[in-house]
Amino acid sequence: MKSPIMTRGDRLILVFPLFLVLACNYDEPKYQPKTYTVRIEQMKFQPDNLTVHAGDTVVWINNDLVAHNVTQVPDASWQSPTLSKGQSWKRAVDKSDDYFCSIHRVMKGKLMVP
Amino acid sequence: MKILTTSIFLLGAAISGAFLPATRTQQAPKLADDEIASVAVVANQNDIDFANIALKKSTDPSIVEFATTMQRDHKAVIDEAVALVTKLKVTPKDNALSKSLKADAVKTQQSLNAKSGAAFNKAYIDNEVAYHKSVIGAVETILIPQAKNAELKSLLQQVLPTLKTHLEHAEMVQKNFGK
Repeated sequence: MKSPIMTRGDRLILVFPLFLVLACNYDEPKYQPKTYTVRIEQMKFQPDNLTVHAGDTVVWINNDLVAHNVTQVPDASWQSPTLSKGQSWKRAVDKSDDYFCSIHRVMKGKLMVP
Repeated sequence: MKILTTSIFLLGAAISGAFLPATRTQQAPKLADDEIASVAVVANQNDIDFANIALKKSTDPSIVEFATTMQRDHKAVIDEAVALVTKLKVTPKDNALSKSLKADAVKTQQSLNAKSGAAFNKAYIDNEVAYHKSVIGAVETILIPQAKNAELKSLLQQVLPTLKTHLEHAEMVQKNFGK
């Protein structure tokens, strides 16, 4: 006659599906992308050096009297349109890049993705 | 050849306190807000006029790019100044400084128009460096301190970093043409 107490094998048979269910339902906590703002003020990108995660979005807003743009260095692989006073432009960041304003070549900025 | 116009001398002298047509005292000229507005508009228009000459006479990419920026930026500043004086119901008033700036710009334009090629490029960018240095000095030591209206003072303060960036840009271009 079989013992009413579950054997080790019985317990494994019961626990294994439960483990599978739990394992399938477990999600890694996902990174929630953030949005950062770079102000263009007094002829500077502020902050001029910004560290972000891949997937984050950066918004550049021009608060100066004069027009600016945001241009990747060295080959302009991405570039904003000309931003007049009060206009903004955003871009999802995927890698580290240097950039500048091609209208005012002395204005420079940097995006760092660790 | 370096173009140092009478206006630049006037501005420089005014800044140092040596030039005083009205009082001949050792002080900078006293300007009311309507006169400051006039000086600001004339100083910006002069640089647009210099840029227009450069865009007609030069094919050098660095000169064309710089002149295009001067045209665009100084027009934006004039537009802001005009919007402000319209709002304040102020009419820019000619004065000794603005008249001298205008008269001397004509001489500078004649000098630039007489040149071509590499000589023109060097003369244009040398003048831009000298002109921006003088205007920055005048804005810092005469126009901002003497402006009474807070909005006019604020506009002049906002323009100052633009002028300093122009100077830095001009000096960068100037290096290509042998200082």
